[in-house]
Amino acid sequence: MKKMKNFAALLTAGAMMVGMLAGCGGGSESTSTGDTGSAAAATSDSYKIALIQQHQTNAFQIAVSEAAEAKASELGVDLTILSADQDAATQISQIEQCVSEGYDAVLFEPVDPDALGSAAKEASDAGVVVINIISACTDWEDYGISALSCGDNVTAGETEMQNVADLLDGKGNIAILTGPSGDAGGLQRMEGYENILKNYPDMVQVVEPADCEWDTASAQSTVESWLSAYDLDAIVCENDGMAVGAGNAAGADSGIVIAGVDGTPDGFEAINDGRMSGTVSQNGGAMAANGIEAAVTLLSGEELENNTIITDNTWIDASNIADYE
Amino acid sequence: MKQKRNAKALLSEYFIFVIFLVLVIVLTCLKPSFIQPSNLVNILKQASINGILSFGMMFVIIAGGFDMSVGSTVAFSGILAAMLGQGQYPLFVPLIVALIAGLAVGIVNGVGVAVGDLPPFIMTLGTMTAVRGLALLTSNGKPITGISAEYKAIAASSVFGVPMLAVFLVIVILICSFVLAKTVYGRRVYACGGNLLAARVAGINTTKIRISTFAIAGLLAGLCGFLMTSRVTIGQPTAAESYEMDAITACVVGGVSMSGGVGKSWGVVIGALLITVIANGLDILGVSSHWQKIVKGVIIVIAVLIDVKGKSKKN
Amino acid sequence: MEYILEMKDISKTFPGVKALDHVQLQVKPGEVHALMGENGAGKSTLMKILMGIYTKDAGGEIIFNGQPYQVSNPKEAMDTGVAMIHQELNPILDMTVYENIFVGREIRKNGLVDKKAEIEASKKLIKECGLHVSPMDTLRSLTVAQCQLIEIIKAISVNAKIIVMDEPTAAITEREVELLFGHIRRLKEQGVAIIYISHRMDEIFTICDRISVYRDGQYIGSGDTKDLNEAKLIKMMVGREITDVFPKLEAEIGDVIFEAKHIVRADNKVKDVSLSVREGEILGIGGLVGAGRSELVEGIFGMHKLSSGEVYVKGEKVTVHAPQDIIKKGVALITEDRKVTGLNLSGSVNDNIAMVAIKKLLRNGLYSKSKARKAANEYIEKLKIKTPSGEQIVSNLSGGNQQKVVIAKWLLNDPDIIILDEPTRGIDVGAKRDIYLLIGSLVQQGKAVIMISSEIPELMGVCDRIAVMSEGNLSGEVSREEFSQERIMTLASAIEV
Repeated sequence: MKKMKNFAALLTAGAMMVGMLAGCGGGSESTSTGDTGSAAAATSDSYKIALIQQHQTNAFQIAVSEAAEAKASELGVDLTILSADQDAATQISQIEQCVSEGYDAVLFEPVDPDALGSAAKEASDAGVVVINIISACTDWEDYGISALSCGDNVTAGETEMQNVADLLDGKGNIAILTGPSGDAGGLQRMEGYENILKNYPDMVQVVEPADCEWDTASAQSTVESWLSAYDLDAIVCENDGMAVGAGNAAGADSGIVIAGVDGTPDGFEAINDGRMSGTVSQNGGAMAANGIEAAVTLLSGEELENNTIITDNTWIDASNIADYE
Repeated sequence: MKQKRNAKALLSEYFIFVIFLVLVIVLTCLKPSFIQPSNLVNILKQASINGILSFGMMFVIIAGGFDMSVGSTVAFSGILAAMLGQGQYPLFVPLIVALIAGLAVGIVNGVGVAVGDLPPFIMTLGTMTAVRGLALLTSNGKPITGISAEYKAIAASSVFGVPMLAVFLVIVILICSFVLAKTVYGRRVYACGGNLLAARVAGINTTKIRISTFAIAGLLAGLCGFLMTSRVTIGQPTAAESYEMDAITACVVGGVSMSGGVGKSWGVVIGALLITVIANGLDILGVSSHWQKIVKGVIIVIAVLIDVKGKSKKN
Repeated sequence: MEYILEMKDISKTFPGVKALDHVQLQVKPGEVHALMGENGAGKSTLMKILMGIYTKDAGGEIIFNGQPYQVSNPKEAMDTGVAMIHQELNPILDMTVYENIFVGREIRKNGLVDKKAEIEASKKLIKECGLHVSPMDTLRSLTVAQCQLIEIIKAISVNAKIIVMDEPTAAITEREVELLFGHIRRLKEQGVAIIYISHRMDEIFTICDRISVYRDGQYIGSGDTKDLNEAKLIKMMVGREITDVFPKLEAEIGDVIFEAKHIVRADNKVKDVSLSVREGEILGIGGLVGAGRSELVEGIFGMHKLSSGEVYVKGEKVTVHAPQDIIKKGVALITEDRKVTGLNLSGSVNDNIAMVAIKKLLRNGLYSKSKARKAANEYIEKLKIKTPSGEQIVSNLSGGNQQKVVIAKWLLNDPDIIILDEPTRGIDVGAKRDIYLLIGSLVQQGKAVIMISSEIPELMGVCDRIAVMSEGNLSGEVSREEFSQERIMTLASAIEV
């Protein structure tokens, strides 16, 4: 079954490539409907729900797709997953497309917190239930968005930095690796870091935060260079990919506290072999699943208890990693 | 008079080397730890992958081509190497598969350009996108973890204090320099880039030569993919984003002419080192990464500008 | 075996064009055989078939050295014993002399390039050719003439039985021509046959034994040189009689309109040259290649830095920082190498003609295609540019017609002083005559013309006055009454009087 799915994906990818070569610039229609189980459960009057992801190119996002598919099949709804490929314009046209194709609900993770508002508004005016997942649009409630299911990047940042501070006993030289400058999620995690650092005057940033664009190799080079010039006690990274790079540079059991965010498999591997100290799990899958649940609740005419659904984050380290892998 | 002109010509020819030395001296003065052995090892490690890619790129550019796809090829072959390097096979299996994958992409590029007569930029832009897609597809979008300890050890180990990655780089440099400078094949690569028509009329099979340069670039990208996975300990579909730009920059800064037919190996070595030293030096100085981008751009433009001015004066 | 090469009944059809229509060619061993005909006559196509660059249409045969001859690329042709010096072929500029000579057939030792042997062999060949360059020089640092000689050396060194020379003297000086002819004679003695393509009548009659003439893809006839003369040959080539090779139109000579004083170029390629030209006058600039003629006009035109010198147009001093400064004053420079500095080869005839005077072709501030088309059509007609339409891509035109497009481009800007650098290089008799007539009509309108040429008969036929340069200096000036080939040659070789 799994093989079949891969084959189907390959076919669609092939079709996409042909489409790309033919120069048609339409949004990618990489539809990967749930597995056959959900298809069987989906009756003709089941809800048609679309999930538009920022992109589908890392472990976090793949977890989102998988959890959403699982939830859809559990609830018996007809789910279509689209990827905006990090392009806000693509995402807007995908939302418009979903409206015109008569979807009952649209879930999306905004590529840009400010760019998707009016598209969401139009969709909701057209009677579609619009749910914002993972990261919030600015003033989302003003745009007819019915619910927000997200983690909280600020809290995630706070959790990460608090654990680092505990491990360092509140003092030491630290350095921070950030995602692409201007990335909303990254900025929020940074805000969380700063909230905690205020309480620990003895934790000093000895270098400017380095923008490693979520990239392992780039983080690895930067940290290698730093280590030959600075005495670092902790390296705090805005995602696991960069933390793995930092861990590679420092080596296993280096005595340097290295922390990330996300809880991805490469991060877990690094925690297991001592290159990383820990990570904050952002349960993207749960956010998507909660979003779908909220959509179904609203579609069946019921009310939500709270239209902001926050998924908790957890500090994962060697002691509890077995529960999450 | 002639002596003086020669000295001037010499200076302009080796100007990039002078710039490199000045940069090293300045960085050493600003932060003495820059020149410490441990950091020199860092620089070698960090320069290796870009250096190897640059040498592949050098073949393509000298033959009058251009390759945008090497970054994606690194990611794709790296994914394959990571999937096969979990300890289930001896290490040469992932190595060979990565090399073959890179070679295949290179040959596709070469055939598209030399036989299909597509502009190199367009052809390799196409493969760049498609191969990135392949990387995401084979990895299902996730990083591939769990590579074996022996595989990890390749990039982490060193020989007499020289990191293994740098050993690979040096071997590639030696082979490529030898091929370009000494062999008939090398001579013909220059001839193709210098004047394709003249080369064809001289009886050179230009189609074969051009395909082979892309194949070399692909092969070396495959090697980089294998090494990259060992270095970062995971196979990432999104790895090596825009590495082709760094490789092209190293070539251009090192005096390889974008119009083809001109370029020396040592120039590319310096070009690759220069790029690494800029990044490493600024990291060490703790300069914010926003500034790093500006400085890198400015240094590249100035280096090439001075180089070009020096050359135009010579003529 | 009477003939070393026989091409019988050869045809070649390109889409829409019959380039060769059942033509023939017979070449005897050890002879210099001239191929003559106007551009488009099919000479180059025939030779490209010989070299395996084009494939002939079915039918017809080629017999070389008594054997059927079938090659599919130049390499095979060279291996069989047929080499060619291409007129259009640029050398590999960034490679050294020795690398160029041995490109494609490198000397090997243990599978590697034997650089030493190549340099040695090149040194010998260069010396034999009387050329003064080092094998280690890059071609970029050589003059056009030197590059051309390297091409010739390359062909000679293949040890071919037949060498095709397509316009081998187009860019070299008379002294170098003599050296080349020396080589040709030596090759003849060794039994090598030369197929010689040239537009220069004097050369044909000096060096060639037999001549075959083609016109519009047809074979017209062959004959021994000694049985032919220039008039007969021209008649065969153009199909009608041209009595006057250098037509000279009468024009009234007026006041000095352009003056350059004490021009010294920063790179010292021109050392203190002054010259002036009057309305209605054609001033020739003669001299050997490398004498600094092109360098002088390019300096005046602002393409290179001058260390001193003043330029006056219509009595007004002009400060020239860049070409546009002097173009504004009504001066035009039609450069020597039309492919490099004269034309956008991939553009249409219309686009090229519109390039300089684009401001005249605006409507409401925007480029008007219809205006450009109209202007181009006017010049296509006036200059007799042979092109199917103004939309034709320039690289598809013959050399003569390309040259006319360059001239048209400048004339549209209505300049008063027109500088032409080698305007007739590599173009055929008919087109040359058109250009002489055009120059004549320009001076009749009161414009002034400065014309650089390496062909002394041409200068003497067309100019009112000839300034001769040698090694960056002005070595003398000759007025029309005193014109003599000897006098000009003496000045050009800078023998102190």
